[in-house]
Amino acid sequence: MRARLTVIAAVATLLSSIGLYPLFSGTGWLWAGLGAIIAVSSAGVLARRFRLPAVLNLAAGLAALHLYLTAVYTGSQAFLGIVPTPSSLSKIGSLMAAGWSAANKYAAPVPLEQGVSLLAALGIGLVAVIVDLLAVRLRRAAPAGLPLLAMYSVPAAVREESVSWIAFVLGAAGFLALLLADASEQVTAWGRHVLAARWTEETPTGTGGTGALAGAGRRLGIAAVAVAILLPTIIPGIHPRGIFGLGGPGDGPGGSGPLQTPDPLVTLHQQLIRQDNGMILTYRSDDPQPDYLRLYGLDKFDGDRWTYSTLTSTPQDRLKNHELPPPPGLYGVRTRTVHSTITISAQTAKVRFLPLPYAPTKVDISGDWRVHAPSLMVYSLNDQAGGRTFTVTSSRPLPTGDDLVNAGPLPPEVQSTFLEVPQLLPKAVRTIASQVAGRATNPYRKAMALENYFTGPLFRYSTTTPPPEKLNDLIHFLTVTRTGYCEQFAASMALMARILGIPARVAVGYTSGHVRADGTWEVRSSDAHAWPELYFDGAGWVRFEPTPAGSGGQGSAWVPDYALQSTSVGTGHGGTGAPGSGGHSGPTGAITAGPHPGRAHGDVSGLGPQGGNHPKGTGAPVGWLGAIGLLLVALAAPVGVRLASRRRRWAQAEHRSSRSAAGPRVDQGESAHAAWAELHADAVDHGLAWRPSDSPRAAAHRLTELLELTGPAAEALARIAMAEERARYAPQPVPAGTLRTDVRTMREAFAASVDRQTRLRARVLPPSAMITLRSAGTRLLEAGEYLRLPKR
Amino acid sequence: MAISTHGDVGRGLDGLAQIAGKISTAIESVIEGKPRAVRLALTVLLAEGHLLIEDVPGVGKTMLAKALARSVDCTVRRVQFTPDLLPSDITGVSAYNQDRREFEFKPGPVFANILVGDEINRASPKTQSALLECMEERQVTVDGTTYHLERPFMVVATQNPVEMEGTYPLPEAQRDRFTARISMGYPDPAAELEMLDVHGQSSPLDRLVPVAAAADVRILIELVHRVHVAPAVRQYAIDVVTATRNHPALRLGASPRATLHLVRAARAKAALDERDYVVPDDLQELAVPVLAHRLLPTAEAQVERRLPEQVVAEIVDRLPVPDRRR
Repeated sequence: MRARLTVIAAVATLLSSIGLYPLFSGTGWLWAGLGAIIAVSSAGVLARRFRLPAVLNLAAGLAALHLYLTAVYTGSQAFLGIVPTPSSLSKIGSLMAAGWSAANKYAAPVPLEQGVSLLAALGIGLVAVIVDLLAVRLRRAAPAGLPLLAMYSVPAAVREESVSWIAFVLGAAGFLALLLADASEQVTAWGRHVLAARWTEETPTGTGGTGALAGAGRRLGIAAVAVAILLPTIIPGIHPRGIFGLGGPGDGPGGSGPLQTPDPLVTLHQQLIRQDNGMILTYRSDDPQPDYLRLYGLDKFDGDRWTYSTLTSTPQDRLKNHELPPPPGLYGVRTRTVHSTITISAQTAKVRFLPLPYAPTKVDISGDWRVHAPSLMVYSLNDQAGGRTFTVTSSRPLPTGDDLVNAGPLPPEVQSTFLEVPQLLPKAVRTIASQVAGRATNPYRKAMALENYFTGPLFRYSTTTPPPEKLNDLIHFLTVTRTGYCEQFAASMALMARILGIPARVAVGYTSGHVRADGTWEVRSSDAHAWPELYFDGAGWVRFEPTPAGSGGQGSAWVPDYALQSTSVGTGHGGTGAPGSGGHSGPTGAITAGPHPGRAHGDVSGLGPQGGNHPKGTGAPVGWLGAIGLLLVALAAPVGVRLASRRRRWAQAEHRSSRSAAGPRVDQGESAHAAWAELHADAVDHGLAWRPSDSPRAAAHRLTELLELTGPAAEALARIAMAEERARYAPQPVPAGTLRTDVRTMREAFAASVDRQTRLRARVLPPSAMITLRSAGTRLLEAGEYLRLPKR
Repeated sequence: MAISTHGDVGRGLDGLAQIAGKISTAIESVIEGKPRAVRLALTVLLAEGHLLIEDVPGVGKTMLAKALARSVDCTVRRVQFTPDLLPSDITGVSAYNQDRREFEFKPGPVFANILVGDEINRASPKTQSALLECMEERQVTVDGTTYHLERPFMVVATQNPVEMEGTYPLPEAQRDRFTARISMGYPDPAAELEMLDVHGQSSPLDRLVPVAAAADVRILIELVHRVHVAPAVRQYAIDVVTATRNHPALRLGASPRATLHLVRAARAKAALDERDYVVPDDLQELAVPVLAHRLLPTAEAQVERRLPEQVVAEIVDRLPVPDRRR
């Protein structure tokens, strides 16, 4: 009947089904699934009891599942509460349809309606049927893992967040138990199966050895699961979150893979229309009129909307000494070195990109933060900035209109990346762009014309418009409604700039916010903003502000002085400045002619492929050095444990004997015990051992014969054995004497008697260091042994 | 092994070893090439136990019993057990003395220091059970009067394997009263050759003179009582015996009396080794002779021809020795 295997298969199915928890709210579905599993397994047992063929086994399982669903969900329509009738069948059908529509209507976790519960029970029950058939009837336990895995992977596929590692451990443990049970039944098919963990209760008979085999299997299984869980945490670049969601919800699937975030623009719109206008962050800056705080730089127009190209993060991208790579293209204009201390509100969830004033050069924050060199976005795969305070040093470009008019020629890599527009862009957009640009030929003049076009009377600001999702929405905005919020303005201007041959991208983040009485600045959700950044060689990426500002627009937006209308109307004689900032572009100490002399040079040379990307290879060894260091620590651990335990033994023995020196008895045999334990550990290290049933006397005898000991070594061994024997069994132990020397003599004797390889292993990887670990594992297994089901 | 020098026990043990050495030399002059059997017999004597020697006819069972008896200067009686032997032939009988006109008790052969029961399994169960009271309680009750037996009192019984014809297997209760069972085994060829030379002229048994007095043996027995048994070792003895009770191949495990016998014999063996404390090795060595004859294998074990001796050896082989004083 294979009752035990049946039960284990059922338990494995149940454990794997726990992984479905993210799909449903509440726990009712689990009970429904448990009932289905029990029904299916019982049918399986019955089918095997009457030795029915495998096909009927399958049919019985399905029939039992049907009866179970009928009884539980359509009891009132069924005959005798369980036998399906046409009306119960149609009820099941309608319930399934309701469940299906609910599952499609709601995002996970789905509220547990009756239909949803029925679908869950049906799904789990079907898996149970297949597992029961494969593992128990057909004795193919390994393929039974596939339906279990399928069940486990459903939530992983549906939800962005991965399934908890605990669910993984449960599922894996269930499957491993199934494999073990199957294997152990096959091994013992012709013999008597005996458990040998506690032999006094059940002693292995002649066919013994399967107990040890099963023990090894269990140890391997536990080790495999442990490695699967722990390895990702030690390997640099792979993060446990990416695999099991360890440590909280995550956005990114892995340290070295493409990074995905919730769409920045969608988030932006959500923030803009938030009713509570919640606090996002506060900051203090030494810049009188701080610049916008940038989260994302969207460098790609995918044909419908702005997004950033796949962000492939590697450990080389980690911030080194909090330094960022030099800002691309910024070398020829004045800059202001700005220091800001930013505190992200604790309520701001999931801050994985840091809001930074452009262009950040140094970010002082703890954790694994990485930088995307071309866009200078700073992000983390597993750290959150919510509730944290960090300081950032930025090099704010202060170009004049002249600087921008006289910008140098575009570097090829900027040209190739930031001028890309979809081939099939409707002609209307190009027409509007060229109309707006008019006769202007200089890129800066074209940009100013675009900005003026958007901030002019034609366009109106409104956050009630839906976010643009398709290219058509943008065209609609440009040609028909001319009403939108920053996203439409920024996206349109960036797109049209590209059409006009100006490298452009869309930045998403926050405006400067509002200054408080104490001089700090506060940024609220209504300050969320998007703006175009245009590239001018020498000034790098500079922002423009096409979104209407003030009370009729984005309240806290402001136009930088180089982009003010007056500047564009004039011929580039310098700007009058933005509100509150203009007066400070004078020759104050904080303003330097370039970012930093050395940096400027590095900038020019840094404009190779990838823009300001730092050379590869400098960051690579750090991860690997860490890994090698970790490996070395792991390798040195056994020796360390061994030496520490040796020291501890002797120290304890000495401590106890000295303490008892005051009492009536001098030595309770502690040093003898220590010497014996040391001898045993040394013997194990050298691949020598004696049985637990050997007394010290017998063990010494065995070793003497095995190693053909003579002379001082034999005497030393006899002394140690006698001392231990007397310490254990005699009324009076013998004094410690020369035991410590004797143990050393024996260690040398052991080393002399084994081959070189064993000797080396004894020194480098002493196996006795593993005994503690192993005995702990054995205790764990024995504890598990009590939970095992009785044999049939 | 260093000679123990702790207290009186240690000094006494020196003397004990000396006397024991003399006795075993005396016995070995008669029984060639069986030092283990001789030593075990001595161990049982010092443990105040009874010895069952089981083997095929003609390997020197009776010779060992008689040699042991004769090397100690004490009263020795020998009873040849036959199917028609009556209980009173062993315990003694009250006979009417016509001169004195009263019943008077004529002590049977059991009133001796060493009783050699030859081929004990040829007697009827009734007669065998007559030995029960004597062996355990060291007293005889005849016609309502209880007579105490002199110390030391030791029954050395020999028996043929139960498969032989014309035998009654000893009941479990009686087997349990024997401290140890040993089998002689055939002598090795060299010892057999020497035996031919020695036994060719005259029986060496005749030349055997006692080397120790009964009083000496009594002192030795007292000394054995003072051998130290650590609590851990006692627990180990209990573990060994308990293991026989739980073993799947055994229908009947060893009794608490077996535990007692085991520890007592281990004390004697330690004393013979001039040690004033018992080590697990003593118990390990004595487990088979002391326990095996009390155990009944299950039908399956019998089919598999697993003897209780093998089971006990296996238990001892697998049970970890105590590694700390408890």
